[in-house]
This record gives sequence, structure tokens and C-alpha cells, in this order.
Amino acid sequence: MNVKKLIAAVAVGATSLLGTAAFAQGGGATITDPQIVGVVTAADQIDIATAKLALKKTKNDQVKQFAQQMIDDHTKLQNSVNDLGKKLGVKPAPSDTSKSLHTAAAAENKKLAKLSGKAFDKEYIDHEVDYHQQVIDAASKVLIPNAKNAELKSALEGAAPLLQGHLDHAKQIQSSLGS
Amino acid sequence: MGSRAHVLRWGKKLWRVRQGLLVMLLLCGPLASAARPHAAVSAVNAVAMDLQSPAQTPSAESAQSQAAPQVILKNFQYQPAQLNVKPGDTVTFRNEDIYDHTVTADDGSFNSGLIPGGKTWTLKITQPGTIAYHCIPHPNMKARLIVAGGNGQPGAAKRGLSPAFNPPHSPQEFHPILVNFTAALLPLAFLSDLLGLWWKRASLHNAAVWMMLYEAIITPLTGAAGWWWRSQVGPALPHAVITVHAMLGSSLAVIFILLAIWRWRIQKKNAVPGASYVVVVAIVMLALVYQGSLGGLMVFGK
Repeated sequence: MNVKKLIAAVAVGATSLLGTAAFAQGGGATITDPQIVGVVTAADQIDIATAKLALKKTKNDQVKQFAQQMIDDHTKLQNSVNDLGKKLGVKPAPSDTSKSLHTAAAAENKKLAKLSGKAFDKEYIDHEVDYHQQVIDAASKVLIPNAKNAELKSALEGAAPLLQGHLDHAKQIQSSLGS
Repeated sequence: MGSRAHVLRWGKKLWRVRQGLLVMLLLCGPLASAARPHAAVSAVNAVAMDLQSPAQTPSAESAQSQAAPQVILKNFQYQPAQLNVKPGDTVTFRNEDIYDHTVTADDGSFNSGLIPGGKTWTLKITQPGTIAYHCIPHPNMKARLIVAGGNGQPGAAKRGLSPAFNPPHSPQEFHPILVNFTAALLPLAFLSDLLGLWWKRASLHNAAVWMMLYEAIITPLTGAAGWWWRSQVGPALPHAVITVHAMLGSSLAVIFILLAIWRWRIQKKNAVPGASYVVVVAIVMLALVYQGSLGGLMVFGK
């Protein structure tokens, strides 16, 4: 039992470290503004796609409302990113970070597709907590410090409370599902 | 002489009945006002408001100086985070974000629902007190309304209150009304049985049986109104408290039915309740007190 628990703990720790590393690595000191827009776009698209899957699969009203909110909020965030990109003449460009985001999302979607009922709700919300935490870390440690255009920088700073709101909301649902 | 004595006896009897009624009335007064302090306070406020309004002859100056209280929802903040208002004010909440937000009382006394970007929602203030509120989709958004003349009582805002008769129509009203019966019938049935045992009066035991029966009928309705209320404002309630309150409440509804059956069977055997029944009811009464304290915690705060 104890050995199993230890292995599980190590596995969880390693996974979260890898996740953070993926963001940090892509960031480095060399991430460009088009790549930053690319990361934000990828993060939005992934969260919207996961939420659409959740809307199809969940039967829990709280989870449904949360998923719908992710779709609404991230669609609006993405629209404002697109508008800003057009205005500044910045086209989203791929980076190691955006690629690793997509890889991780594909793996998570596979995992979620196999689950249903309460197990699905728990996995989805747990994932949303981790995901938003990762995106907040990436934004504050990599994207915002490296953004060269002042308007892009302030737009990223403006999105921080949105992400924090989603994280808090997900945590609230997580605690209500947990018991 | 005989008839005079007769009249005197009647007079004494009548006096005793009147005394009893007087004691009951005296007992009922504070109980009723303690049970629904909000209703009492808000009714007074509503009347006070109506009396004040004709006295306030609105001059152009005062209309200008009294700008309508407004809260702007922008950048995931309520601005100002603390707004001072007074009873009778109507607060306008304007969402200037592109995202949808809500204005939801922490105690569940009001909820705007989603306010889309660019839209407004208004709240009529009727009672003094401090009202903390938040946004359901973005719980990091928090703010407070301070209503002047308050003594810090939460749950102070209710819309559309008037001294006219308002029949209950929302779960916020049904549950607190029904719960009074649930809370009163069990202790009264218990007291009735105890006094019956003491004075050896069958009528008191009869009363106890009937009260237990009413308790068993009304409590599932109290519970249903509670679940209904929860379904309306679920996420706004403290999760741990509402979970225990809902589970204990539902269990009590079942326990009351079982107790009523038990009590009914004792009565059919022409017996009086034994020690086991008395002890069980006493324990259930403690659970009921705890249950009430949880409900009070959610409605009135600490």
C-alpha cells in the first residue's frame, strides 16, 4: 500500500513538473510576440474544445454551467486577441510551448473520452484546475515578461484576473465534487 | 345567595381561562418576532420608507447631489468594492467587461443571473446592514454594499417589499415559514408527553400523538422547500454547511415519520411513552437544534 502510494505521489509530482517545464522551456528568453499570440490562441482553443466535450458528456449542472462559461469566456478572449493581432499586424506563430500544449491536450482528451459520469466530472474539473494554474504560471512568468509590444503586454495582464476567476471557480466545483 | 356563589365560581373559572390566554399571548409575541426577525424589520422599514417619501420634497439641487448609486463591473472588479447606500436606494450594476458576470449575495438573498457585457441590473435596497456579494463564474470578484442605519445584520436586501399582504411564492419564503412548524411541534409534543407523565393526564398524551403526526406530515414539506431553495442558489451557499444541513434535514424527515408511527402504536396500546421513547426524542431534539443552527448560519451569518 505505502509503496503504491509513494509511486502514485511521485508520478503526480513528475507530471506536474513536466507540465510546468513545457511552458517554461518554450518561453526561454526568446519567445516572440507572434509566438505569444500563438500560445494564447492554442490555450483558448484547447480549453474551448475540452469544454465542448464536457458539455456532451456531463450530466452535472454545475459542470455544465462551468463548461459553457469556459466556451463563452474563452471565445470572447480569443476574439479580443484576434482583434488585437489584426490591429498590431501580429499573426500567431507556433512555438515549442504551443506544440506541447496541443500534445498534452490530445492526451487529456483521450483520457476524458474513456470516462463518464462522476469519474468524468472529477477528471475534467481536476484537469481544469491544473490547466488554468499552468496557464496563469506561463502568463505571469513567461508571456507577460517577454511581450515586447506594450499593448499586447497590457492585454495579457488584463486576462490574468479572468484566468484566476476560472481557477477559483474550478476549485470551488472541485471541492463540491470531492465529498 | 346560591346563585351568587354560582356566578362567583364562573367568574373565577373565566378569570383562570383569561389568565391562561394572557400568558399564551405574552409567550407568543416574542416567539413570533424571534422566529422571523427579518420580516418584522423589513415591514417596519417599508412603512418608514413610505412615510418618508412625501416629506422629501425633491428640489433640483438634492436630485443632483443624490446621484443614483452605481457599481461598475470592469476588469473583473466591482467598482467601488465598497459602496455606501441607504434603504430605499436602487443600485445599478453596469457590466462594462466583455464577459458575463453575476451579482450574487453571499447569503443567497439575491442573484442577478448572468449580466452580459454592456447590460445593467438593478437592486432595490430595503434593509440596513452589510451585504457581501460575488460573481458566480468568477469567484475572485467580491464586493460589499454597506446600507446605512444598519447593525450589521446580513441578508438585508430584498426587492419589491411593501406593507401590503405578500403571499409566499419563492423557496426563500416557504422554507423559513414551514421550518417554524417543524421546530415547534417536536418540542411541544415532547413537553406534552412529559407533563402528561407527570400529571397523569390522558389529554396531554393525546395532544402529543397528534402533534407528532403533524410533525411527520409537515417536515417532508419543509425538506422539499429546502431542497428547492438549494436548487436555486446552490453554488452561492457554503458547501460543507449546506451538505450537512440537507442530509441531516432529510434524515430528520424520515426519523419524524418513524417516531410518529412509534408514538401512534404506544397510544393504540393505551400505554404511555416509556424511557426509551423519551430518550430517543430528546436526542432527536438536540439534532433538530443543531440543524436549526446550521440553517441560521446560512441565512443570518455568524
